[in-house]
Amino acid sequence: MADPACTAFAGKTPPRSWGRALLLTLPIALWSLFMSLRGLLQPDRSLQIASALTAAFLIALFFMMMKTSSTYRWRRWFFVALGVLFPIEFIHNVMVLRGSMGIPIEEMIAGRTPFCFLPIPLLILPAALTKTLVFPGSLLPGGGMAGAGMAAMAGLWLAITLVVGKGWCSYACFFGGIEEGMAALPKKAHWKKLDPRLRLVPWAVLLAMVLLSLALFEPAYCMWLCPFKAVSEYVAARNTVGMVQNGIFVVLFAALVIVLPLLTKKRTQCTFLCPFGAFQSIFNKTSVFDIKIDRTVCSPCVLCQKSCPTMSLTDESIKKGETLMSCMKCGACVDACPKGAAVWHIRGTQVAVKPERARLMFLYAAWAMAAMFGGTIITQDLATILQRVI
Amino acid sequence: MGGPFLVGEAFLLGLASGPACVASCGPVVVPSLLAEGAGWRLNARYLSSFLGTRFLGYLLFAAIAWELGVLVSPPPAVRTLIYGGIHVLLGVALLWYARSIGRGCAHACAASGLVSIGRVGKRGVPGAAILGLLTGVSLCPPFVAAGLRAAQLSNLAAALLFFAVFFVATTLWFVPFVGMGCVRRNASVIFVARTAMILVALYYLLAGVAMLAGRRIYG
Amino acid sequence: MKWPTSKLGYTAAGMTVVVAMLVPFLLFGLFTKGFTKLGLRVDEMYSGGPTVRTIQADGYTVTIHKAVYPHLLQTEKPFVQLDWKPVNALPQHVSDAVDVDGDGQPDVRVSFDVPKDPKTPLRVDVDALNPRYQAMRNVGKQKFSELIVRVDDAILVRVPLTGR
Repeated sequence: MADPACTAFAGKTPPRSWGRALLLTLPIALWSLFMSLRGLLQPDRSLQIASALTAAFLIALFFMMMKTSSTYRWRRWFFVALGVLFPIEFIHNVMVLRGSMGIPIEEMIAGRTPFCFLPIPLLILPAALTKTLVFPGSLLPGGGMAGAGMAAMAGLWLAITLVVGKGWCSYACFFGGIEEGMAALPKKAHWKKLDPRLRLVPWAVLLAMVLLSLALFEPAYCMWLCPFKAVSEYVAARNTVGMVQNGIFVVLFAALVIVLPLLTKKRTQCTFLCPFGAFQSIFNKTSVFDIKIDRTVCSPCVLCQKSCPTMSLTDESIKKGETLMSCMKCGACVDACPKGAAVWHIRGTQVAVKPERARLMFLYAAWAMAAMFGGTIITQDLATILQRVI
Repeated sequence: MGGPFLVGEAFLLGLASGPACVASCGPVVVPSLLAEGAGWRLNARYLSSFLGTRFLGYLLFAAIAWELGVLVSPPPAVRTLIYGGIHVLLGVALLWYARSIGRGCAHACAASGLVSIGRVGKRGVPGAAILGLLTGVSLCPPFVAAGLRAAQLSNLAAALLFFAVFFVATTLWFVPFVGMGCVRRNASVIFVARTAMILVALYYLLAGVAMLAGRRIYG
Repeated sequence: MKWPTSKLGYTAAGMTVVVAMLVPFLLFGLFTKGFTKLGLRVDEMYSGGPTVRTIQADGYTVTIHKAVYPHLLQTEKPFVQLDWKPVNALPQHVSDAVDVDGDGQPDVRVSFDVPKDPKTPLRVDVDALNPRYQAMRNVGKQKFSELIVRVDDAILVRVPLTGR
């Protein structure tokens, strides 16, 4: 019988030495420290501590990625922290500023509605046809909860998408962490047989919401379907229909972000609803990084398929040696594959030739974005919590 | 006012209103068209059927409105009831249509003819025709604009001519939709189109019921 | 034949890492600026439309906006927005006849109380002196096209149009 310690890394990159792992972490360590510099130089002690903690957290996680050669479980810590801390700070801020999570009509008129990235695909057609943004926010910094304005969010989204493509859903999205955390809690899935057609629903939601947004001249997804309104902000219910809308948000959040991830160990909101995720999948076609299945090594044991949080691997796709378009490059399948058949890959190169080089290049780019965007959000969130505590 | 001038005015108004018509009908047309079989001929048939009955809906409403003397500006309460009723009917028709696609596939794979609502086969009513009629009588804003202009004309024939020319001009904006025939149809595309249709239908149903119950959707 | 594509792949991957390094220093700002230069504007149903003119009153001003018309399936009414500002210069009770269309004749009389506490809900009465405008009685902020709200240092009133 083979030694389990050896089979565990058959065909995979073995763990690195401390020195080599530290050396590989150095660029990201410098980057993370640079990103936290602004916070460290502020007179606010809470912000200083938060910046230092965030930088240490991000560097430690990246070091572990380098040391253990696994990606998913370390990235998950960052992603869950981002997903849990973001709503805490957001709700705290809206409560301080407005005393309610409901956006009053005067805040919408003043263009102070916070703008997240989710409505971006819904705004494209009305903007292209009428030069109008169907969102009650500000193009430029509008003060209050509007933050940096729609232009900054759009600019940031475009820049990060250029770098990581659909990897946005694993390294930048500040909503997906809650369900990823929920999915990590149970040891095994209670619901294993999920209709594979359901993963097409986000495309249907995208199609319907884009068309309705154009016809109704409003961000239809934000008005009717966004589960994260339950943990951020929503249109203050001034009438029965408003109550129905808020009811939909709460039910969708409870079902898709809390209950179903616990039962299925999948990111069910991302897999079965999120239209932004479907839209972002398009950028998988433009990204230079992807995940491949080395058919010469694959058994197939379908462990990769089981581990994928978004059902982006099917029997057919494994036979073809690739993931589906919805793959968000979280690395779960690569880590789960006992034979090292699931590998990181750079388009144009041969499959399974220097996959660790592909992983490193992707992780440097993705973690740089994570530290810049998610790291900043985590810092702010921690600082807010520390201000309350200290 | 001269005939050619009237025709020109109606045509220009139609051309200008076209994008609004496309946006207004988009949630109904795009998913249902995608759910049909592939090929530009079939898609052109769908659009002809949809636009033809939409035109009938326009004329029907215009004629009734002219006869009743209220033209296209009924009192707000009545208008809300009409809107609400049509939204509910449209929602039901879309749901029925989405259901019929699955049934159609089992028999003819939705490739040889348009998806029928009701009985499968020659006696079924093409879904496109029903959707066209319901969008035609749903008082979309460009239609109201044309109606207000037509109301100023001296007789019913002139008003109907104005509407007809206006309609032809708006229809030009729908021609590119025939290109959707080139989109390859497989089980995934049909599933996405059907699900989108169900979501749009649920919106129309909710909006319709809210309007009938006197509740506001916005504001 | 694999070598050139492989080299291209690695070059593109390397460039992606470089692009990532440039995001906070160059690309973020560049894309944000580019977006603002697209000439997009926020839907007037929210923003209230461009300013047409300003009337000077007794220590305060009334700004008149261009009429806003709803799009497509929006069920709001067309409206015109009037802003009274600054709030601290307004009397306890405002009752102004406003010439909205600029023809020299007053079109609406707008009356509302100005509470000291900015959080107190506002109510407005509008008398239509011109049939183009719709009268309002004791209206708060139920609809985008029919409301009175306080935004920063201004009190905004939106008067619906009747379509006549």
